[in-house]
Amino acid sequence: MDALSRHNVTVQGPSDGPPIVFAHGFGCDQNMWRFVWPAFADEYRVILFDHVGHGQSDHSAFDPDRYRSLGGYAEDVLTILRALDVHGAVFVGHSVSAMIGALAAVAEPERFSRLVMVGPSPRYIDDDGYKGGFSREDIDGLLESLASNYLGWSGAMAPVIMGNGDRPELGEELTELFCATDPEIAAHFARVTFLSDNRADLTRVPVPTLVLQCSDDVIAPDGVGAYVHEHVPDSTYVQLAATGHCPNLSAPGETTAAIQAFLAPS
Amino acid sequence: VTPRDELIRDSPEELFENAPCGYLTTTLDGTIVQVNRTLQTLTGYPRGALVGRRFPELLTVGGRIYYETHYAPLLQMQGWVREIAVDLVVADGTKLPTLVNSVLQRDEDGEPRSIRTVVFEATDRRSYEQELLRARDREHAVAAELQRGLLSGGLPDDPALDLAVSYRPAIAGLEVGGDWYDAFWVGERRVGVVVGDVVGRGIEAAATMGQLRSAVRALASTGLTPGPLLDALDGYARRHEVGQMTTLAYAELDLDSGVLVLACAGHPPPAMTVPDGAATFLWDGRSTPLDAAAQPSPRPESTVTLTPGATIVLFTDGLFERVDRPLQEGLDLVLAELDEHRHEPAATLADAVTDAALAGRRTTDDVCLLALRWSGPPG
Repeated sequence: MDALSRHNVTVQGPSDGPPIVFAHGFGCDQNMWRFVWPAFADEYRVILFDHVGHGQSDHSAFDPDRYRSLGGYAEDVLTILRALDVHGAVFVGHSVSAMIGALAAVAEPERFSRLVMVGPSPRYIDDDGYKGGFSREDIDGLLESLASNYLGWSGAMAPVIMGNGDRPELGEELTELFCATDPEIAAHFARVTFLSDNRADLTRVPVPTLVLQCSDDVIAPDGVGAYVHEHVPDSTYVQLAATGHCPNLSAPGETTAAIQAFLAPS
Repeated sequence: VTPRDELIRDSPEELFENAPCGYLTTTLDGTIVQVNRTLQTLTGYPRGALVGRRFPELLTVGGRIYYETHYAPLLQMQGWVREIAVDLVVADGTKLPTLVNSVLQRDEDGEPRSIRTVVFEATDRRSYEQELLRARDREHAVAAELQRGLLSGGLPDDPALDLAVSYRPAIAGLEVGGDWYDAFWVGERRVGVVVGDVVGRGIEAAATMGQLRSAVRALASTGLTPGPLLDALDGYARRHEVGQMTTLAYAELDLDSGVLVLACAGHPPPAMTVPDGAATFLWDGRSTPLDAAAQPSPRPESTVTLTPGATIVLFTDGLFERVDRPLQEGLDLVLAELDEHRHEPAATLADAVTDAALAGRRTTDDVCLLALRWSGPPG
């Protein structure tokens, strides 16, 4: 299976437009961008994908060892860009994908022109003067929550999501099913995400970067966004009025406007 | 006015305030604007301590992350979420297990306006679910332990022999599968090897595998050759109602002559690779699975004389069966990998072929591969 089908890559907009990639974070899939990407599809070549183990990616391609750190996910981003022969892309990453985009840009700078980090955090756990917002025990609590909520992952759906195509009638339901994730993969991604520490990578981000900070975001509190802005060399910090962790869903207009303002030629 | 009419006249306020579940309305960002009396009773917080706070603030920290990364996005995307298990932190600091449903309310223009949420106490249900989860984990651990125990014996060791096994159990979380292997001395200079796959999963499959493994060893020690041995194993399966429809390949190798006798009951064909030629499958000596309805009797066996350095490879279907490609393609890949690794030691070959066949995929079935190389006659 090639990289494009493995990641359920969808491409919209003019094929000769400047490329813009939208990457979803922990907890969902490319549907996270459904209210935002259409505003870019007139001008840009819009690229959407699912991380392996999420949405309609090839779940059987999940390899705990490859994805033992965010580096594996960054490598996937590069694989997709190579497959589409993309250079100089705008990369819009939500939540943990903001850091995944940063790692990919550090690895192959020429593939990126700008980075938009929506609710980024380089380190979720408090650490010696650094305030990420969480303790190790909090993350264990999240894993418990995941274990009690096998959303859309009943025994009947699991084979479909795993790619066993002998029950095509379930395929349609699947397209209606948002954010279905294998519980085991979700727990793994939660651990990798919330236990990661990528603070040292921030200073190496090679492209102009927009940090979009939400209000009252428990996942990525104000102080963390400010920390990212302080350490990414060429960065712009914009505070959104939107509350919570998913402005791409709760305030798509405000999010779109902030990204467009950042991308507008000055 | 009958008592029944009195009931029907319950005011909407009464229905809301004393509903048999907590009920709250929030703004789109989760800020609580209205709560019913039941929620106050459930949480121990008076109305004033709830209104104005954001709903996720009532959750444990782990639950709050779950809310922000799953609950809120789903609600915004599909307009509802149901049956989400979260713990509320109540006034006395303890956790209250609940199940929560929410719907997004829209105004006349279809724009989201508010969120309505109901909260059901789920203490007993949650502890029951946790007991079930624990029981499942325990059963998995027992079956995995049983399987490991059955597969952990030492392999025959001889200068004429290079014997190795690559065994990959199905991914954790799934039940233990029923693949097994065994290798043992049948006589002074004869070695028996078997790879099989029992129907089913879990403890039952592991126990069946244990019985068949012992039965094969016992039958082999009576001097039965592979074909008749499988016939006898049919009788065992039928008499004791164990292991029906199991597939297995059984082979015996004479270490002095290199003569290999082989019989295969409904199992993928063993492969043979030689130092100076292409790998092939051994299609002879095949019959139906154990105690299957229409089995030929007596079961056939086939004889191959190995050349020094030849390797016989027995494996289970997990090695080549994949939903996204034709069977033949999987089998061709096995041959190609055998060709590539035929000069490597049996252990390297076994791991390399298994790795290549799985290609980093998580396996939902056990995969077992046994490689047996004969270095040639003594002296």
